[in-house]
Amino acid sequence: MAKELPGYGTINVPKDRAVPFGAVTPAPVCTQDLFQTSNWRIVRPVKDDEKCTRCLICYMSCPDACWIYQEEQDLMEWVAGFCKGCQICINECPTGALTAVAELDFPDGVIRLDKPF
Amino acid sequence: MQAFDYKFQQLEPLKSFKRAPALEVYVPGHRTCAGCGPALNYRLTAKAAGPETIFIGPTGCMYVANSSYLCTPYACSWIHAQITNGGAVASGIEAAFKVLARKGKHNGSFPNVIVMAGDGGTVDIGLQAMSGMMYRNHKVLFICYDNESYANTGIQTSPTTPYGAATTFTPPGKEIPEGKVLFPKDAPQLVIGGHPAVKYVATTTIAHPLDLMNKVRKALSKPGPTFLHMLAPCPKGWLFDEKLTREMAKLAVETGMWSMYEWEDGEYKYTNVPKKYKPVGEYMKYQGRFAHLKPEHIAKMQAFVDERIKSVKEKIPIPVPTPKQKA
Amino acid sequence: MAKELMMTGCRAAAEGAKAAEVEVICSYPIRPYTAIMMELAKMVANGELNAEFIHGEGEHAQVSVVLGACASGARAYTGSSGVGVTYAMEVYSPMAGGRYPAQMSIADRTLDPPGDFGSEHTDAMSTRDQGWLLGWACSPQEVYDNTLINYRVGEDHRVMLPQMVCQDGYFISHIPDKVILGDQSQVKEFLPPYRPISPLSTTEPVSHGPQIRPDQGAPMDAARAQTFLAVPKVIEEATADFNRIFGRNYDPFVEQYKLEDADIAFFIQGAHSNTCRTSVDRLRKQGVKAGMARLRWVRPWPTHQLANALGHVKAVGVVETSTSYGGAMRGGNLVHELRASLYDLEQRPLVTSFMAGLGGETIWPADFDYMAKVLTEMVKEKKTRNYVYWIGM
Repeated sequence: MAKELPGYGTINVPKDRAVPFGAVTPAPVCTQDLFQTSNWRIVRPVKDDEKCTRCLICYMSCPDACWIYQEEQDLMEWVAGFCKGCQICINECPTGALTAVAELDFPDGVIRLDKPF
Repeated sequence: MQAFDYKFQQLEPLKSFKRAPALEVYVPGHRTCAGCGPALNYRLTAKAAGPETIFIGPTGCMYVANSSYLCTPYACSWIHAQITNGGAVASGIEAAFKVLARKGKHNGSFPNVIVMAGDGGTVDIGLQAMSGMMYRNHKVLFICYDNESYANTGIQTSPTTPYGAATTFTPPGKEIPEGKVLFPKDAPQLVIGGHPAVKYVATTTIAHPLDLMNKVRKALSKPGPTFLHMLAPCPKGWLFDEKLTREMAKLAVETGMWSMYEWEDGEYKYTNVPKKYKPVGEYMKYQGRFAHLKPEHIAKMQAFVDERIKSVKEKIPIPVPTPKQKA
Repeated sequence: MAKELMMTGCRAAAEGAKAAEVEVICSYPIRPYTAIMMELAKMVANGELNAEFIHGEGEHAQVSVVLGACASGARAYTGSSGVGVTYAMEVYSPMAGGRYPAQMSIADRTLDPPGDFGSEHTDAMSTRDQGWLLGWACSPQEVYDNTLINYRVGEDHRVMLPQMVCQDGYFISHIPDKVILGDQSQVKEFLPPYRPISPLSTTEPVSHGPQIRPDQGAPMDAARAQTFLAVPKVIEEATADFNRIFGRNYDPFVEQYKLEDADIAFFIQGAHSNTCRTSVDRLRKQGVKAGMARLRWVRPWPTHQLANALGHVKAVGVVETSTSYGGAMRGGNLVHELRASLYDLEQRPLVTSFMAGLGGETIWPADFDYMAKVLTEMVKEKKTRNYVYWIGM
């Protein structure tokens, strides 16, 4: 009877393929480091601190939070790892302090991820 | 039921960009297109709301492009909802925190509960759930980030897609030269028109960050349901250069394609009303979705916008000349 | 002290929910389950139950509301009937996949068209592949008991799954019967408070339900399948505890009535099992060795228990009360799974299917007599002549 019947076998999800219970993941803290978006861009914004008035329009215009105001140094900081090169900041800068420069012009240009996603 | 102090958050208005919270609650590392309007919308909203927030994300670009592959950009709590049911899931969350607070199982301040829904999840398939939530007086902020199409699935028309726009469901052709022939639903008026529990509704765009953040903070400080309609231009769907995302939102306001207003306790307050509206063609000419339109179509759009601007004029006495010249 | 009262299945479900101290309730009217919500509305209005009572704008919203509530750490309760059950279909899978152990109480009703208030199991049966726990009660008492047992099983951290607690519309939902309500100390001993895993929180932020890649889908499905392998043990434990604390005598999976020496057996679930039981007694008096196996859980399906209970019987008649048009046996839903469960036995019973109790029709004692006759002929002929018989047609 029952003991002669087939069982259900066992299911062992390999550790490297395991998915969090109920697909619930912890929230990221400052940046989503699992997904760098720097390799999307073909140009990057280059700033001229002389022309920059720290009006923060670039900071308020970036969908990817790639401009940070460093209050202590009174400088704008560009976040290279996530800038997608959309150029909204360049277009919006009221003083012309930002210019688009081709990624290929930089020795560290067009950052490629170690592992493709 | 006896009065109970749920410790709702009160968020003071922000005076300047510098006073905005430095903390990013919607962090970089998401797969939205370069120059994405809705992503900027999300970022500013999250920044204004702060970390003690729960976002409900109905299916749409801001779900699929943001939360892919089990990594998400939401530094506060976030839950996916179906595109159909953002308002209902939010109702359940709000109700749960209320009863848990009453039973002493949740201490501390009441979370800001925000639904971040696209236009489809707001006025199309999500309309019923949104309306139910508004009617039942849940303390939830429902935001419609309006990119005027089902962008995530490949730019299909939605009820907020403007007349004359080419989408993959409204391709212009010999028989239907203007592409989309219908005029859009008015999301905030739908909310204002039939939900007595709602005391605050406002519209804004991603090109007006301080205004956007303060409207979020004001909405979250109300004790009941609130609604914000935000214009979030979509470079891919509208076919414009991605660096012009903010420019498009500004032009929408300058041409009357979009009106910025607050509706609070039954009173309208309009802001950013141009002294003289630009013709709608000035807005449309940058966008590939309108490239096929003939002058008579643009005139039809202009007439529609003129009619809408009239209601702005009625509510605030500002002389608004109707632009006469052709686009 | 436990007290005994006459009440309908709907009232019993509401009493169960009250005993479980549900925290968020979402209602939408549809007959016949709606009486459950009417009872709960009174309890909340009278201050007997400290819960948020939300008037959903439809069944889809009902399930969505309890999903949100459950994700936030509240014990949540809803229910429906008939086309209401199918209207909410989209949200069943997210509920189960997100591992939100809310409960939905179903009083069955036929699906349209045309409108028919009668009971038929097709409404809830149509959700059986969505990953919920699913089972039928056969009395108001069992509705009350199943409400508590289901919360206990569903909220167990080895399980964390939503539950559909079903009762036949009208036959159970609206006909009063004796119900012994447990006292709070019994309930407290049996049912611990809901302990969510990673709920939505302001202090420990989490993301619920981000997109996955196709290659992450299979492990997710496998994890859910793995859970269903663990559920039977949890059901056994919970049923044993329930029997001990409340003084009941449930078999965890299959009620076995006079099966030991039976030649023919009825396989059935829900309300009509009561007529079936008395029919077995009557048939026995007439010299027919009849028995009954009553299914208590459709999900998880008790394959081995059924093989054990029915393996020695010569012919089994599946009394369906649900439709599966065009299915393998052209009968209802239960026959496929029962036949599959018996397939690997060396000597398997003959199995046929009786379409009965559809549209809310009563299954009369004479119908069981007819079914017994068919089964007896099958035994005599040693073959199954038809896969399915439509009773009265």
